[in-house]
Amino acid sequence: MELTLSQGLLMALVGFVCSFDQQTEALYWFRPIVAAFFTGIVLGDVQLGIACGAVSELAYLGLTMVGGNVPPDPLFAGVMTVVIAYTTGQSAEAALGLSYPFALLAQAVGILFYTVYSFVPERLDGYAKAADERGFARFLISTAIVKSLVFALLLFLCTYALQGPIQSFVSAFPTWVIHGFEVAGGVLPAVGLGMLLITMLKKETYPYLFLGFLMATFLVMPNVLPVAIAGAAIAAINYAYEKRMDGASKSASMSAAEGDESNGI
Amino acid sequence: MESSEPLNKNGEPLKKLSKSDVTKLGLLSMLLQISYSYERMQAPGWTLSMIPAFKKIYGDSHEDLAEFLTYNMEFINTEPHMATLLQGLVLSMEENGQDRALIDGIKNGLFGPFAGIGDSIFWFTVLPITAGIACSFSEQGSILGPLVYIGVYVLVCLSRILFARLGYSIGTSALGTISESTKYLTKAAGILGTMVVGALIPRYVTFAFADSLVLGASGSTVQSVFDNLLPNVLPLACVFLIYWLFKKKHCNVILVILGVIAIGLAMSFLGWM
Repeated sequence: MELTLSQGLLMALVGFVCSFDQQTEALYWFRPIVAAFFTGIVLGDVQLGIACGAVSELAYLGLTMVGGNVPPDPLFAGVMTVVIAYTTGQSAEAALGLSYPFALLAQAVGILFYTVYSFVPERLDGYAKAADERGFARFLISTAIVKSLVFALLLFLCTYALQGPIQSFVSAFPTWVIHGFEVAGGVLPAVGLGMLLITMLKKETYPYLFLGFLMATFLVMPNVLPVAIAGAAIAAINYAYEKRMDGASKSASMSAAEGDESNGI
Repeated sequence: MESSEPLNKNGEPLKKLSKSDVTKLGLLSMLLQISYSYERMQAPGWTLSMIPAFKKIYGDSHEDLAEFLTYNMEFINTEPHMATLLQGLVLSMEENGQDRALIDGIKNGLFGPFAGIGDSIFWFTVLPITAGIACSFSEQGSILGPLVYIGVYVLVCLSRILFARLGYSIGTSALGTISESTKYLTKAAGILGTMVVGALIPRYVTFAFADSLVLGASGSTVQSVFDNLLPNVLPLACVFLIYWLFKKKHCNVILVILGVIAIGLAMSFLGWM
């Protein structure tokens, strides 16, 4: 199926709103699950947006902007997974693999902005010294809007203007290639989770990873909420225990000190 | 010479922030990362969102405003919610007429450690749990998936108001007690987050060898050998392999992703998966 011009323009609007949110990280509308949902609404296939959103959200779970390195763009991954699945009729998993070049493209543009926008604080210093807070606000907000407009245009080009080339490119693939992207789509969440574990996994949290894994493998659960509740319970027990242990060792040393004093007196 | 009441550089007394001023600060701090750049990172948005509250305290003193804008335009990079807490703290110190060099020092000393606490709460606990629950709704084809996700993050976003109030009410005195209980809280958050990630592995890392791939003489499929050992052992091993590549081999993310795609294509070409 093809996107109409008005759908393309609506996608540009989604791109503007979500990429402004990507700058602020305020509402998390730049995350694949939300961006894919909006895309599904624009394309009139909400179910497809929901299905693609789940697959791409998990693949980009650990790929977050922590510590200043820029990951492949989650917004473009979410949107393009839906668009590719919609225009080519591929499964969500295969579309996720095919969306990757677009996520890399948007990542490159993002890095370009982070570099070029180093001129922004330089200009703002001038307004700061002159105590011109209106000029400061006006200049800063307009640069933020320009950045989001560029991403909106980029998304319009990727979704509407290039849909013909994408479609013919994908339909020229032999079936084993498409299936290969499907297999990769099933493994890619492991990359997201592996990234997440770099900072999360510590000696004292290892056992809990296996507890969660075993619960999900052997229990029939409609979602992961039961694991989250069990995890919260264990965390609460541990919190109380550690606080009491630390408190006990402190008061033990304090009472020992008091005891010495009273003996002295 | 020194008056007991703090004055601005026009010689007027400083005003106090009202509760709604602090609420407004919390909402404005959503702009923290606009026009983020490698040079000074969050400094522009950090400064912008404090301007209305600062003007309330210092009135029309141009000299104070210029000084305030200039020292805040220094490099800063922290977790957004923690930034809001820090802004509340900075403004309560401004309100008490503290020396700006002292405020600047405290700000620079705290934004790094605060980033660690904030990331462990928001990126590594709230995000995996929210995504895990929302995606399991989505997998059933339910519209609740994205709606739950959006709803949770509206609340997370509005929690900035609480962080602004907390920072403003702490002043400087109580920093010690906060950092003491965050030690336990960070640990508890880590347990919860790790357990949920453990549960996400078998739910979402889904690949298996093809049924046509059979072990030579026995006739049993390769996949059934793994399933008899421990169901989902392959996804678990795969996550640990990738974790190891990142942690010990410091592999580039993009290379790993391209590697996964290449292996997927190879497996498909050979008919193994």
